[in-house]
Amino acid sequence: MSIHFLRVSLFLFFTLVMALPSFAGQPMEQIRETTDRIIAIVSDPVLKPPEKAEERKRLIRQVVDERFDWEEMSRRSLARHWKQRTDDEKKEFINLFGKLLERTYLEQVGNYSGEKVLYLNETIDESGFGDVRIKIITKQETEIPVRYKVKKNGDGWYVYDISVEGRSLINNYRKQFQRMPYKKLLKQLKAKVTQE
Amino acid sequence: MKKFDIELAVGLFMVAGIICLGYLTIKLGKMEVLGDKGYELQAVFANSGGLKSGSPVVIAGVEVGRVKQIALDDYEAKVVMNLPLDVKIQEDAIASIKTKGLIGEKYVEISVGGSERILEPGDLIRETEPAVDLEQLISNYVFGKL
Repeated sequence: MSIHFLRVSLFLFFTLVMALPSFAGQPMEQIRETTDRIIAIVSDPVLKPPEKAEERKRLIRQVVDERFDWEEMSRRSLARHWKQRTDDEKKEFINLFGKLLERTYLEQVGNYSGEKVLYLNETIDESGFGDVRIKIITKQETEIPVRYKVKKNGDGWYVYDISVEGRSLINNYRKQFQRMPYKKLLKQLKAKVTQE
Repeated sequence: MKKFDIELAVGLFMVAGIICLGYLTIKLGKMEVLGDKGYELQAVFANSGGLKSGSPVVIAGVEVGRVKQIALDDYEAKVVMNLPLDVKIQEDAIASIKTKGLIGEKYVEISVGGSERILEPGDLIRETEPAVDLEQLISNYVFGKL
């Protein structure tokens, strides 16, 4: 009887121990992996010269694409505009908005010069949403708190919003998008994405 | 007989005065007497920036509800808001704490989302922005303006 009980509790203990790390560490590990890969690209001396700029961009884009959920980001920032769009319009917008975000992101990442990234904590809720808090420490020792909002899809956690200093990227665009009719918005977005 | 009439008049006047006083107290104090109509939503902010219970909740600049309660929850501010039943909030709505003017009072602004899922009474608005000074300035600086 007691041996049986011992077995059962040992079994439970091990399943719990085995299950926990794979569940608990997920979003932060995935964000860390992506960030490390991007830092490796931007600090790679081989890719530094200006003629390699395109190659560098392409590599960063590849890594970012794997971690960001462009559709979710587009849906959230278009908000009420989103419902009135046809599937083709949605596709077009996702493509354009993704490009805009990539550009902004690349501009920020392109200025990377050895800033440190601290991984603080992560929270996950049972409905498949999580958030990862990190801190970027610049050379002047200023701390910039950054928060990644992630959503679970299969095994991966995908970023759908980033907050810097508490300001949400999605809310920033959502407010700008709600202020104008969709046509005007699309025109401005196109102009912004194609300008160099 | 005549004396009694005067006393009655004074009494009635006093009662009317007290009723008026009560009405004003409830109105100006923004208290609810007959229970709250509407439903409650929660949101957790990293910093409430001095938001008070009774502060307005605003959508598109229109005051739709009020903050009912603020409490500390795991070192963050948990805010309970009361909203009228006919104002539906989507699951991807974002609640931010804003300031009227530069140093004015704080209020909660909800920017509506596009999700099909509507929040039920008692649900949590998952996306929040804490109170920050010069908020839009920073956000435009960080993410770029369209």
